[in-house]
Amino acid sequence: MTAPTRPSLDDPSLTIPLEHAGIFEPIPLARTERQQEFYGLRDGEMLLNMGPQHPSTHGVLRVVLKISGEQVVDLDPVLGYLHRGVEKIAENSDFHHIISQLDPLEYISSLFCEWSPVMSFEKLLDVQVPRRAEYIRVLTGELNRIASHMLFMGWYALDLGGITPILWSFAERDEIVEILAAITGAKLLFNYFRIGGVNGDLNHEFMSRLGDWMSRAGAQLEAGMGLLNENEIFVRRARGLGVLDRETALRMCATGPNLRASGVPFDIRRAHPYSVYPELEFEVPTRREGDSLARYLLRMDEVRQSLRIIDQCLHQMPDGPVMARLPRLLRPRPGRAYSAVEGPRGQYSCYAISDGTDQPFRLRIHDPSFLHLQLVGLLMPGNLIADTMAIMASLDPVMGGVDK
Amino acid sequence: MDRAFRALVERTFGDLLTGPVRQRNDETEMRIRPGDVPQVMRTLHDDPRLRFEYLGDLAGVDTGTDFQVVYHLWSVVTPDWLRVVADGIPRDQPRIPSITFLWKGAEWMEREAYDMFGLVFEGNRDLRRIYLPDDFVSFPLRKDFHLPDDASRSPGGGVRPMEDAATPADAAATTVRRTAKSR
Repeated sequence: MTAPTRPSLDDPSLTIPLEHAGIFEPIPLARTERQQEFYGLRDGEMLLNMGPQHPSTHGVLRVVLKISGEQVVDLDPVLGYLHRGVEKIAENSDFHHIISQLDPLEYISSLFCEWSPVMSFEKLLDVQVPRRAEYIRVLTGELNRIASHMLFMGWYALDLGGITPILWSFAERDEIVEILAAITGAKLLFNYFRIGGVNGDLNHEFMSRLGDWMSRAGAQLEAGMGLLNENEIFVRRARGLGVLDRETALRMCATGPNLRASGVPFDIRRAHPYSVYPELEFEVPTRREGDSLARYLLRMDEVRQSLRIIDQCLHQMPDGPVMARLPRLLRPRPGRAYSAVEGPRGQYSCYAISDGTDQPFRLRIHDPSFLHLQLVGLLMPGNLIADTMAIMASLDPVMGGVDK
Repeated sequence: MDRAFRALVERTFGDLLTGPVRQRNDETEMRIRPGDVPQVMRTLHDDPRLRFEYLGDLAGVDTGTDFQVVYHLWSVVTPDWLRVVADGIPRDQPRIPSITFLWKGAEWMEREAYDMFGLVFEGNRDLRRIYLPDDFVSFPLRKDFHLPDDASRSPGGGVRPMEDAATPADAAATTVRRTAKSR
């Protein structure tokens, strides 16, 4: 009895035709110029799928890498795994309800996701926000910025293979999150800003925890940063990796720390001042190198500036109400408003159109991570596969914001 | 509000403007025809008196009757945001020139507007869906796309007429229940 012969995989007649040679799924029909360029493989090239469940994609992201040996020739990010159509949801919910819907966009710095839509609704309604509320917004916002940058520090080190920094940064982040929970009632999705003010005034627990933390924050944060800033392995790994020059950064619509690390001193807090930032003293740190190390160091500089801002807020905090007097049901006059705030990742902006009803006619949410993820495709070619996550992590995208 | 800037915009663009230059809060708004987008954007970007190097946002808008593409720009010469509205893009031929020749980063924002509204940006070399799967055929942010819980009240009785069409041009006209009072 002879065993049934099985076709050999070496048989050239069994070679999978090119248009179905994908690993994860068949290669899509090339519809656009870019797809034709990407999915047409030259000699020695192959496609490698990374994600959507890859541990260091900062969410659910799939990246198709075109590689030649271990070198990445090109890459094509595939988005949409976290898409929930928040703009359509916003068109169908009233102005107060939208704020809680926008929180999960950038779950790491959710106060900023609330801030820009709230500002644009206030413009639509011509509401004057009380000064104390503005100070509280800045105070909590800057705390959130530090928490976000500390998390970035930890994740970045983790993506490069270092375990210790994330333990240190989480110790700090935990403390900040507890401080914010004392005033907002939540640790991640705060839902704290309201149209015309904030949800609650400063309370005793918040102030005592914050004072306690501020008395040792400077030294502790420096100690945590010292783990990486002076670490030769880290510095040599990150220096010169994924260099983004000034012109390209502007052309690619990069914002925030990624733009400033390339030498453009553009910070919306200074370039287009909002809230009470004109009254506060701080610097806009800028670096010229434009590599991963510069992007990391710039964020650490921002943490120091945020501490300065928090200190000033606590000293200058005025008395007064924290909410403007507004009706429960808001019906802004027909019109359009645009507002942008400087978040830890860059420009969060919001374009709202009102048609006179209690729901916005259109709400456009602009998220910096979306544009920074686009940069990865530009910075990657020529680097090694292991650098994909190193470069992507240095740009600090959050997939919740990318996918909306 | 920067009155001098409004005068500068009116002087520079003259006939290219299709409506008055409006100002409210910290925003200046100008309206142009979709076909003039490359010319206007190039002037805004390159003119030494304007220097709009930073593209803040690109958004598609469905007014219920036609489409708009809205650009927000920032420059050192004015404290205002500049809003450029390219309006009057017809529903049956939603075509507009791309601005990726100036801002390569607009590529994904245009892909998003294509994904959500079916706006075809001519000159964008990667115009395909970005969030939704490739075989999805309707455009969810259009005003004639009703959410599933209102589908029973839609003219198709639960079936969206647009889902029969493969291209925006083939999409059947459906009732829009809500149109912009202010455009």
